Formats: sequence, C-alpha cells, structure tokens
Amino acid sequence: MNAVLPILHLFLFPGGLFLLALGLLYQWFSRKLLALLQNRIGPRWFQPLADTIKLLSKEEVIPDGVNPTLFMGLPLVALAGTLTAALYVPTAGLPPAYGFPGDLIVVLYLLSLLTLCTGLAGANTLDRFSLIGATRTLTQLFSYEAPFLLAMLGPAMAAGSWQVGVIADYARGHWLILAQPLGFLVALVGLMGKLEMPPFDAPEAHTEIVAGALTEYSGRSLALFNLGRAVELVVGLTLVAAVYLGGLSNPLWFLVKTMGLLLVLVGLQALLTRLRIDQTVGLWWRYGTLLVLAQWFVMILVWR
Amino acid sequence: METNTLPNSFTVPIGPQHPALKEPGHFQFEVDGEIVTRAYVRLGYAHRGIEKAAEERNWIQDLYLLERVCGICSHIHALAYCLAVEQLANAQVPPRAQAIRVLVAELERIHSHFLWMGVSAHEAGFDTLFMYSWRDREQVMDILESLTGNRVNYSANLLGGVKFDVTPAQIDPILKGLDYLEQRTHHYLNVLRSDTMFLQRTRGIGVMTRAQGEVMGAVGPTARASNVPRDLRVVAPYAAYPQFPVKMVLDTRGDLQARFEVRVQELFESIRVIRSILHDLPEGELSVRLPRRIPAGEAAVRLEAPRGEVFYFVKSNGTDKPERLKVRTPTICNLNSVVRLVVGHQLADVPMILAGIDPCFSCNDRMVRVSRIDRGSEQAMTWGDLRKYGIDHYKRLSK
Repeated sequence: MNAVLPILHLFLFPGGLFLLALGLLYQWFSRKLLALLQNRIGPRWFQPLADTIKLLSKEEVIPDGVNPTLFMGLPLVALAGTLTAALYVPTAGLPPAYGFPGDLIVVLYLLSLLTLCTGLAGANTLDRFSLIGATRTLTQLFSYEAPFLLAMLGPAMAAGSWQVGVIADYARGHWLILAQPLGFLVALVGLMGKLEMPPFDAPEAHTEIVAGALTEYSGRSLALFNLGRAVELVVGLTLVAAVYLGGLSNPLWFLVKTMGLLLVLVGLQALLTRLRIDQTVGLWWRYGTLLVLAQWFVMILVWR
Repeated sequence: METNTLPNSFTVPIGPQHPALKEPGHFQFEVDGEIVTRAYVRLGYAHRGIEKAAEERNWIQDLYLLERVCGICSHIHALAYCLAVEQLANAQVPPRAQAIRVLVAELERIHSHFLWMGVSAHEAGFDTLFMYSWRDREQVMDILESLTGNRVNYSANLLGGVKFDVTPAQIDPILKGLDYLEQRTHHYLNVLRSDTMFLQRTRGIGVMTRAQGEVMGAVGPTARASNVPRDLRVVAPYAAYPQFPVKMVLDTRGDLQARFEVRVQELFESIRVIRSILHDLPEGELSVRLPRRIPAGEAAVRLEAPRGEVFYFVKSNGTDKPERLKVRTPTICNLNSVVRLVVGHQLADVPMILAGIDPCFSCNDRMVRVSRIDRGSEQAMTWGDLRKYGIDHYKRLSK
C-alpha cells in the first residue's frame, strides 16, 4: 500500500491525469470567456482536448540545425516541471500531496522551468522568429520573476513559514489580500506574465514573430508545451488563490476562487493592448518591484 | 527601397506568408536587437495582370473586371473607370446617378475604415477592438447590401450612370444604421484617445513630418495625418462632390495616433455627407446610353479612395475595347514611407506602422521580378524570353 499511494499521487491525483484534465478545462474556460467578452462564440468544451489529441497524432518535424535531444527533451522537462510543482500546492482544495520547509521556492522555480525551457527551445533552433522569441521570453522571465517572487514571499513572512501548505493553512484564517493588496496585485499580474497572457504576450506576438520561440515546434512536442502551459495555469491560480484569497479549504472553494481569479485575468486580457518588450521590462522594474518593496516596508513597520 | 543587405546582419523576413500580412508581400527588416536598422520591400506576389486582361475585353466587361482590382474599395475602381470612359464618350451623367455614386463611395469608405481600424488594433495585440469594430462594420455592409444587393463587389455602376435607385422606403433603415455607426464611432474615438495602453503603442510612433510626407508622395489619410492637404474630394471634386462638399480632415502630429484619429474623424464626415445626400437626392434619370464603341482619345481620372488617391488612365482607339488601361493604387505611393519610417523603431512597432498606411498588395502589384538565387543575379526577361520559358517549363513538366 505504501508503494501504491505515491504512484496514485503522481499519475492520477493530484498529479498526472487529473491535472492535465483540469488544465485543459481551465484553458477552455479562459478561451471561452475571452471569446464571450470579445463578441465571439468561442471554442466548444472539448476543443483544447481535441487540439491536444490532434497534435499528439501528427508528425513531428525536427528542423535542420537543432540538437535533436534538446529539441525533444525540453518540452518533457517543461511539462514535468509544472506537474511536479502541482504536488506541493493545495490542488483541488486538498492539502498538498507533499511538502517540506522551503518548498515555496521550489514551486516557484519549477513553474519558471516552463518559461526557461521555452526560451532554450527557441534558442536551440536557427529560425529567426524563434531566436527573437527566445530573447523576449528570457527577457520577460528576468523582469517578472523577481517581483513575483517578492510578492509570494509577503504571505510567507506573515505565516512565518516558507512551506506552501503551512502558508495556505495560515491564510485560511487570514484574507491576505486585505492586508497585502499590493502584493496580491503584483502576484496576479506576475501570473499573467508567467503565462504569457496578453498584454504580456510579446514573446509570442504572432503579428511580429509568428509563434515566437515555439515557431519550429509541431506535433508531440508542441502538444507537450501546450499541456505544460495549461497545467501551469492551474498551478499558478491555485498558488495565488491559496496564499492571498483565504486559502482553499475544500474543492468547491478551490473552484470558486481559482475561477474567480481566472475571470479577472481574462477580463484584463480583453481590456489591454499588448506591451512591447521594453515596456514590459519597464513596467516590472519601475512599478512592480517598487510596489512590492513598499509593501514589505509597510509590513516590517506594522507587523512587527 | 534598399536592395543590398549587409553580410552577417540579422534580418527578420516578414512575408510572403506571415500572420501580420493578410496578403502576400515580402519585407526584410535588419535588426540590431529589437531596433530596426534597415528595411527592404519586395512586391509582385499578387500580380494578376488585370491591366493586360482589360485590353482583351470590351468596355462593358472591363467594368466588372476592374471592380475586382480591390476587394475592399471595389466601387471606387469601377467609378474611376466609368468617369474616364464617360469623359472619352463626352457623356453627361444625370446628377441623381452621380449622387448615388458618391453615396456608395462614402458607405464604402466607412466600411474600409472600420475594417482598417480592426486590423490595426489586431496588429497591436488589441483584439477586443478588432472584434468590436468588425461587428459594427456589419452594419454598413448590411446597408450596402440593402442598396445594391451585394456586400462586397456592389456593382453599382453602369457606363453612363448607376444600376439602382434609392427609394424613400430604403432611406429610413439607412439613417437608423448611420445613427448606430455614428454613436459607435464616437465610442471608438474615445477609446483611441484615452486608452493608455493603446496610446503607448501609437503616440509618437512612426512620425512622418509634413515635408517628408510631401517628398515621399504620401496620399490619403496617411498624408493628411501629417498635415499634407491631399484629398481629391476637396481639391479636385468629382462626381457629386461639388454639390455635397466634404471637409478635409487634417492632423499635424504625423504619428500613428494621428492616422487613427484622421480616419475616425473622416467617418463622421462620411456619415454627414451620406445624410445630406439622402436628404437632398437630386431628381432625374439614373443613366444615359453610351455607344458600344468609345471614341478615340485619352482620359486620366484621379479619385479619392478610402486609402488615398487612385489614378486611372484610359486610352481608346475607337473600337469596343480599350487600347491601354493603367491603374495606380494608393498603396504603392505610401509604401515608400513605411520603409523609411520603420528605421529606428522597435520590431514590435513595424506591423503597426505597416498597417498604418492601410496597405493593399494585390491592388498595387503591376509586375513580377524574378530573382534566381542559383544564377546569383537578377535579370529582366523580355516578353519573348518569358513565353519561351513558359513553353519549356510545361514541356519539362509533361515529360
């Protein structure tokens, strides 16, 4: 029995299949919602799944001039990273499957793995759109990562622990969005940057650089990247909802809070124009970081 | 339009197939990081040989052929051709027909500007504006359909007049549609002026000074946004524009923001003109008869299409077919400004600056230049060479 449980955790719930299904569901929800806001009809509920199956069944073209091992390996690492991150967050409102002191940092870096892999995948090919996309992806990573990290450390300081499970437990009694509104704002917008949602979609701005870093990807590897993105959406929403929105005590609250967050993200997505990459960097370092630091300053003065 | 590129430079090719281009064209942007240092354009991918085809058809058939030069401003091409032929035949077109022609031309301008606004917003990554402006564009398409029976190639013109009349029963729904469009246009003007994120992408981007605009021969809204007073409806009124005058919309700033505002302000102007035409539609016949053979002579006509000046030259030798027909569309005049203006801008601004002139490639392509990479040099082929090449090519294929 002891051996069976971890395998279930990894492959069925909360990792593996459940997470993939949930990711695709959330992806559909955000696409449908955006479509409704933009006066379109939007995809049917199974469209993300259908896209994935179609991509998985297609031929994969490995372009000339790439390192094939890297080309095939990077999407696997990306997906594995996001799936692993899910084990340490309260997915579906249940306590995290695993946890150790300091796992918050691990989760944040596992989530960055996807972006990093995307950037490397772009830099691995000779395609000029991919190269520009890779540069932009990595530039964006360096601009939002620090403010996002600082914003996630605010609740950690309040809870007195760097373990996601403990912070989530603490947050259940304390709606930290009220105490740290600036941190919440930065975390929310940071999540948009992480997911490369508009207006932070300069790395894959298709009117400029086609599909950015993933231009050369097709078939299975592209499907894996897409799945990674879908899972990251769920994990990111869970993380922010768990630490800022009063914790996730049961599956119903999980659904309500993460969907509510997604609603806000999609609303912003519909309202805003794409930022140029220099504007993105400026926004994060000029405003994002300063806002969080101001928040920290207030916390240190008031909390202690 | 530079032709030689530096070795070892990082060049971003855009087109002939690229998501930013709705039609085939080829651009090369040499970039230093994100900054464009040199630009190159190559056209000719959508050359359809319409001018030559027009010489093979009779005067009536050409009317339908030339309406298909452009998919968006189809009416203006048919109108330019009709005015040229009528000038050759020395025909007096009834005022009611001229007024209806202007009516359709202005409706077409509304449809074109709405379409352009959506496309440009999409290039900036503002898809919500794109979707909404295209939804509202449906309204003007419906008006055009109710008048002419078609949404795109309206086929409103005849040589010597128009095909349909505007009945009093049709006027009310049109006015209602215009009210809706006017209200929406106010909203869009407000969005374009006040949306901070969108202003970041348009204000001060692609600035063309008045002197530059005059030297580079910019036309249409692109020129007017740089305060170059070029609007043929005002400076050389044709058809019914003398009776229904238009005010020229000018802007002094010359950036993308100005190009947006000039076009949106022109929408108000178009709506006003359409209302006044519907109010004071002259009475009378709809067309006059033109002979099957048009008297020999030459005629040149310039009209203001939604994108700028359209030029038609028609030469007749007295038969039932034109001897020569020349079309020049506004895109070719404005493309030069794109190649100059993008230098020094970020790569992200390039699609917006390109979309800012409202390019239409298939309208402007008049020739194809074939560069053979294997031969290393570009050489012009004569008509005979080309014919021989074609025959040899198909012989090789059929073997």
